[in-house]
Amino acid sequence: MSLVAILASTLAVVAVTMVATRLIGRNAGWLAAAGLGTLAAIVATRVPEVLVGSSAVREVVPWIPTLDVALRLRLDGLSALFLIIVLGIGALVMAYSARYLSDRTVHQHTGYFAWMLLFAFAMTGLVLADDLVLLFVFWELTTLCSFFLINRSGRRASAPAVRTLLITGFGGLMLLFAVALIVARTGTTVLSEALIDPVWQSDAGFTAVIAVLVALAAMTKSAQFPFHMWLPDAMVAPTPVSAYLHAAAMVKAGIYLLMLFSPALGGTVVWQSVLVSTGLITALMGAVFALRRFDLKEIMAYSTVSQLGLIVALIGIGTPSALATAALYTLAHALFKASLFMMVGIVDQQAGTRDIRLLRSLWRRMPVTFVTTLLAGLSMAGVFPLLGFISKEYLLGQTLEPGGPVWLGALLTATVVIGAIATFAYTGRILLGGFTDYRGTERADGDLDTHRMPETVREADPLFVASALAPALAGLALGPAIVVLHPLMSAAGSAAAGQPYAASFALFGGFTIELALSVTIIALGLVAIGQRRRLDRALERRVLPFTAIDVVERLRTGAITAGARVGDVTRTDAQSIHLGAPWILLGLLAVVAIVVSPTAGDLIEVGEPWTDALLLALLVVTIGPAVVVRSRLTALILVGGAGFVVALWFFALGAVDVGLTQLLVELLTVVALVLILRRLPPRFHRVSRGRTVVTAVIAVSAGTAALLATLAFTGRREISEVGQYFLDEALTDTGGTNIVNTILVDYRALDTFGELTVVAIAGIVIMGVLGTRRLLDERTDNSAPGPTATILRSVGNTLPIRVVARWAAPVIIVLSAYLLLRGHYEPGGGFIAALVGGTGFALAYLGAATDRGALARWPYRGLLASGVVVAVVTGIGGYLAGSFLRPVRFDIALPWGGELPFTSALIFDLGVYLAVVAIVIALLNELGGVREHHGELPQKHRVDRSKVDDRRVDAPKESV
Amino acid sequence: MSLAISIALLVGAGVYLVLQRGMIRIILGFILLTHGVNLLIIAAGGVARREAPFFGGDTSGAADALPQAFVLTAIVIAFAITVVLATFAAVGRRDDDTEPSSRVDARLGGAQPRRGSR
Amino acid sequence: MAILEVLMPLFVGAPILVGGALLAVPRHHRIRQVFGMGSLIAMLVGAMLLVAATADGTVLAHQVALWPGGIAIPFVADTFSSLVLTVTAILATVCFQYMIASGEARSPSIASLVLILAGGVAGALLTADLFNLFVFIEVMLLPSYGLLVILSRRGEMGGARLYVTVNLLASTLFLAGVGLIYAVQGTVNLAELAGAGDDPATAVATAVCLSAIAVKAAVFPVHGWLARTYTATSPAVTALFSGLHTKVAIYIIYRIYSVVFEGEATWLIIILVITSLSMVVGVMGAMGESTMRSVLVFHMVSQIGYILIGVGLFTQLGLTAGIFYLLHHMIVKASLFLSTGAIEQTYGTGQLDQLGGLRTREPLITVAFAVAALSLAGLPPFSGFVAKFSLILASIEAGAVAVGVVAVVVSLFTLLSMLKIWASVFNGKRSADVERYAAEGRVRERENLLDDEHVDERIVADEAALAIEHNEPPRGATTTEDDPHGHRGTRIPFALALPSLILAAITVSLGLGAEFLLGLSAQAAAGLLDTAAYVSAVLGR
Repeated sequence: MSLVAILASTLAVVAVTMVATRLIGRNAGWLAAAGLGTLAAIVATRVPEVLVGSSAVREVVPWIPTLDVALRLRLDGLSALFLIIVLGIGALVMAYSARYLSDRTVHQHTGYFAWMLLFAFAMTGLVLADDLVLLFVFWELTTLCSFFLINRSGRRASAPAVRTLLITGFGGLMLLFAVALIVARTGTTVLSEALIDPVWQSDAGFTAVIAVLVALAAMTKSAQFPFHMWLPDAMVAPTPVSAYLHAAAMVKAGIYLLMLFSPALGGTVVWQSVLVSTGLITALMGAVFALRRFDLKEIMAYSTVSQLGLIVALIGIGTPSALATAALYTLAHALFKASLFMMVGIVDQQAGTRDIRLLRSLWRRMPVTFVTTLLAGLSMAGVFPLLGFISKEYLLGQTLEPGGPVWLGALLTATVVIGAIATFAYTGRILLGGFTDYRGTERADGDLDTHRMPETVREADPLFVASALAPALAGLALGPAIVVLHPLMSAAGSAAAGQPYAASFALFGGFTIELALSVTIIALGLVAIGQRRRLDRALERRVLPFTAIDVVERLRTGAITAGARVGDVTRTDAQSIHLGAPWILLGLLAVVAIVVSPTAGDLIEVGEPWTDALLLALLVVTIGPAVVVRSRLTALILVGGAGFVVALWFFALGAVDVGLTQLLVELLTVVALVLILRRLPPRFHRVSRGRTVVTAVIAVSAGTAALLATLAFTGRREISEVGQYFLDEALTDTGGTNIVNTILVDYRALDTFGELTVVAIAGIVIMGVLGTRRLLDERTDNSAPGPTATILRSVGNTLPIRVVARWAAPVIIVLSAYLLLRGHYEPGGGFIAALVGGTGFALAYLGAATDRGALARWPYRGLLASGVVVAVVTGIGGYLAGSFLRPVRFDIALPWGGELPFTSALIFDLGVYLAVVAIVIALLNELGGVREHHGELPQKHRVDRSKVDDRRVDAPKESV
Repeated sequence: MSLAISIALLVGAGVYLVLQRGMIRIILGFILLTHGVNLLIIAAGGVARREAPFFGGDTSGAADALPQAFVLTAIVIAFAITVVLATFAAVGRRDDDTEPSSRVDARLGGAQPRRGSR
Repeated sequence: MAILEVLMPLFVGAPILVGGALLAVPRHHRIRQVFGMGSLIAMLVGAMLLVAATADGTVLAHQVALWPGGIAIPFVADTFSSLVLTVTAILATVCFQYMIASGEARSPSIASLVLILAGGVAGALLTADLFNLFVFIEVMLLPSYGLLVILSRRGEMGGARLYVTVNLLASTLFLAGVGLIYAVQGTVNLAELAGAGDDPATAVATAVCLSAIAVKAAVFPVHGWLARTYTATSPAVTALFSGLHTKVAIYIIYRIYSVVFEGEATWLIIILVITSLSMVVGVMGAMGESTMRSVLVFHMVSQIGYILIGVGLFTQLGLTAGIFYLLHHMIVKASLFLSTGAIEQTYGTGQLDQLGGLRTREPLITVAFAVAALSLAGLPPFSGFVAKFSLILASIEAGAVAVGVVAVVVSLFTLLSMLKIWASVFNGKRSADVERYAAEGRVRERENLLDDEHVDERIVADEAALAIEHNEPPRGATTTEDDPHGHRGTRIPFALALPSLILAAITVSLGLGAEFLLGLSAQAAAGLLDTAAYVSAVLGR
């Protein structure tokens, strides 16, 4: 069976089991167990191929060629070992789950099996991956599975789940960065090639960086100090999850990663020092903490942390034999720890608690369970003749000669010995506390008496126990039959060492120092158990004022608070902040520009007529006051005045149509704003003096920048090619004589089209806004002097205008039609015509005695639409001549003879006309108070303003 | 030169008003700013030739028509946006104020109360 | 090809025509929805055709109205623009579907506004004329102003006003930049400006344009307005804007920089600094926010930083990664906005501390959110991972290791802020009065009240009671302490969850089938590295 097939079938198991759960509930576990078991067996059959030397099976399926990422799979001794552990233990845990889960709430089980088996898939992929990116993908996948498995177990699990994901996620990022660095440096994503790249020898600095990153990744995953705290934290998850992920498989991913990278990183000082130190620290700390816990599961968790520490230290030592021992230790630990966890689960279910202060004399009521625990426990404690004994023996053997100075060996050995004694002690704590009357120190944290252990505790369902018994027995059997492991261990060792190595473990290696040490350990361990009460009291007091979890939490909340500070800077609707920010960018740009001080060619000297100076003077007298006055209306009138001066500028510069448009637009803008002003306070809001100064500085520098830009960039070239083309060709191209107009409706009709769309939509927007929201009330009572009042007390004051309007309106309409028609040839065209027309309506409106009396009550919504539609249709009609908006020209034969040249541009211009007229009418009606009945949404259930204004101060809630 | 100064004036005054408080002032500011930019675009075409670009007679003195077309378009677009802004200024809960009224508001950022971070 | 070239202007014309026509039928929302959906889908199909036509690197160009090259306004589609156009079309379609589901599409102008917005986007993406670009940016903006206000339930207008003024300022600056460019070069045709960045004057003029666009793209330090305005409206609109506005701005930055500056190395460091700052500031701000949407909006700033790394590196891999990230981000972000939006609109609040326990209650939304959030944080096997990894790899290969480090660190914070939402909204306890929030939301919707208008408590109470009475709990649900009403009561309708699910599905498939999009992105990147084909096609000579 090919590797790809194996990987795929693990995925298939997920799907099958999920379906099965719907049908047969928790018993689907058996199915999954069968599936994983078979796969484990199949892998075992493939093992012989990889046993000789450091040979391996490889397969490639392309995935992302662009990044040279592929589904590269590799089976060597190392991956074979871990694969067997993952699948084998997986099968046992699945079988166990079939009884552990309740047989009532089926619906949650689907998710449980899905995540557990998905995790099995991820681990399989991880240990098979021969592609750096693929490795990372599966690495993160295991993290995610773990997160969701923890997260789905109740509300109390939320915080631990989040912490776990953050810590392991951090490790993942370290790995990602390492992967990226390696790929960038070695130029290959193939793992096995990258690991033998010469760069590892040539560039010590690079190797060190990678060593640190990989070590960090592994330490987070394998819960090594200082990242250990997530593992006990994660014990809120159901026991099978802990047994599989947090004892046998996932935490071993870190070990696998370390052994995987050993060929490249092993032997470097950083690697050794980091791994050995953290490993041993973790080993000691875990063992000690385990002695202080009362919850069996927590004891298990800390024991796992401690045992993993030993393995990490072994990998740090890094000799082939050390790596082989690490491999053996990994297997041994997987067996006894999985078994122990499952036992805890059984005890928990049968006795209803895991607290050694509540459990009592179970050994009589649950003999099988007790024996199993005993077997596994002794293996953990390293007692002859179990597998754990051998692994511990050889561990000691490694620490005795780690290479380097003698004192080092002594130090390491001493640490390991102390750790081992502690291990022995807490093993005793588990057995005695769980199955006899030993109750640790009766430290009463939490009321213990509330849930006493029920009196009727029975042995569990044999099927239930069997799955836990199996690995324990394996541990027992493999001790004496250690030889059968030699091939696998050799292969694993050589794969990890990157050089051929033949393992030779023996149950009894003669009377060696190791043996002596083992004896000492057991002896002292027994003493420790004997003195357990005194020991407990000694360890009871806290070492540090805070727990590691507190640290993580503080980091997390700290980051969040810091974020809030950053956000505060811009968390405001004050426009000055947001409209000021861009000037920072532009300021920088201006500085750069002044440094570069570019000019666009030489200035073309032109004498400027005296009128220019006059226009400038006019601007000064209008703008100057406009920025300082505090009466809104005065400011508006002054700005309007400035607008007219600008229009004069346009005329002076030969832009006739622009000038006309400017005049009319200015007029309409002023009218519109006057309609608004009557709903607003008469005077502007006050601002602080300091702020005025700042604003003024920004304004002055902006003005200066504009000045410099104009001087440096403009007027330094002859007329542009395009401009010249229009002057030469416009007539022949379009038949129009007003060149600006031909550009608008022929050459760049697309601009004009976009523009009339903008105008039309503006109308729609205004209608939409006023359909959903009411205008502010008119301020009839305001004390504003002069002009405002005349507009408000319109009836009396508008008599003259009304007289004018009565005869002016039709004239203006005719005039605008004329302007529209001649636009192509003389000043005029759609805009100007429409604006003139619009002005007529404005006049008519102002002339009306009252708002209601105003005569402009047209279906402007339809008008707006028609404007757009006419324009687009004309545009599409252009396809008759070959392209969108291509003007179609032909001559209309007039009845009285002769022909009238016609171009579709005229119809297009009509569209413009309609849209612009429509928005003017819309404006007057909407803002003027005359409303055709439309309404974005039906108007009802409004409250009077006072209520709202009362609640103005308290901040309104988020829009929903 | 006068043209350059006029542009500078319009831009400066525009920016000053845009950074003030209250929608109307901001709108007026944008109106002036737009004027400035429009004049700049006309100037970009070169002001050496100042005759209106029409046919009939020689066009050797005629100004560049393209910037004029640009400005014409720009003016009308600006008008459309201005009236939208004006409408926005005239609806809502208070007047056209653009700054949080109280210190409380300022800290909370008006629309969004910040709760205890979790 | 030829016919496709000639028809390109219809990407603008058709939606605007339909949009305009639909304005004339304010009373028949069915018609509007059908035609709106129809034309959006048609647009999507057309965009896909463009991708197919340009996938091999060919550049389609058309001189609109057939005036000679350099005179006419050129419309041009290469791999890059076609890809972006396609994704925008997808988003427009999906968001419109959401608006239909949420009933927002019933109000008279919405369909038209969405269509015209889409038309404007198409124009902005396809035109190769800077002034025309300005015009189409406005065509995009005007409908947006409408959508923002009409679909907002806010009484105070702060957000809406700010949105208009900031964009108006940016547009005005952009226009000034265009003017300066014309002053110096005598043309605004992008192709004729190719390589003109060497001339300092042109460089400065173009820089003005770029800074204006940077404001629209909301990069640091001009990012502040985003979180204030995008939260001031309906979730669907936020999703639409996040996918269209800021991203079109980014497209323009990529385009202008590659054509005018031809990747001039001098300025790249500036871009990299700005992007790194954006990444950090954005993610920090996001962590501090307290509503689902404001967290997500602040994230955009950070993500925009990521995207712009591509142009900051200006290597083949860098641009490829940047473009891939851009497209991935558009989809994922919209998905997040729509899933959280569905929650907001159904449960009546987006406040993190007023929600809880949705994981067991709303499986579909939970899946949609989890997938999109993990993808955003760049975890495999989602598209976000491919995007992030290729960006980091690109920065390292380009020697900008520091940027890579920032990218890595920031993604951890991204994860943290996503977990913040997860922990309080999906895990956590359901607050007792969650039904009341939901009921109040429904009442406001029905009575069409703004959020500052008084609503009768009694009506709300009845509404809440009704919901608890009528909504059956989902299969297998069990009453827990976390859930005061035993899973009865308000629930998100499927139609409202569907859009986010669709987009989530896309991000999954883009992760597993990354090669498809990554290959296209590489093609697009090549087009930006060597603009010769683009230029010659636009000039038509």
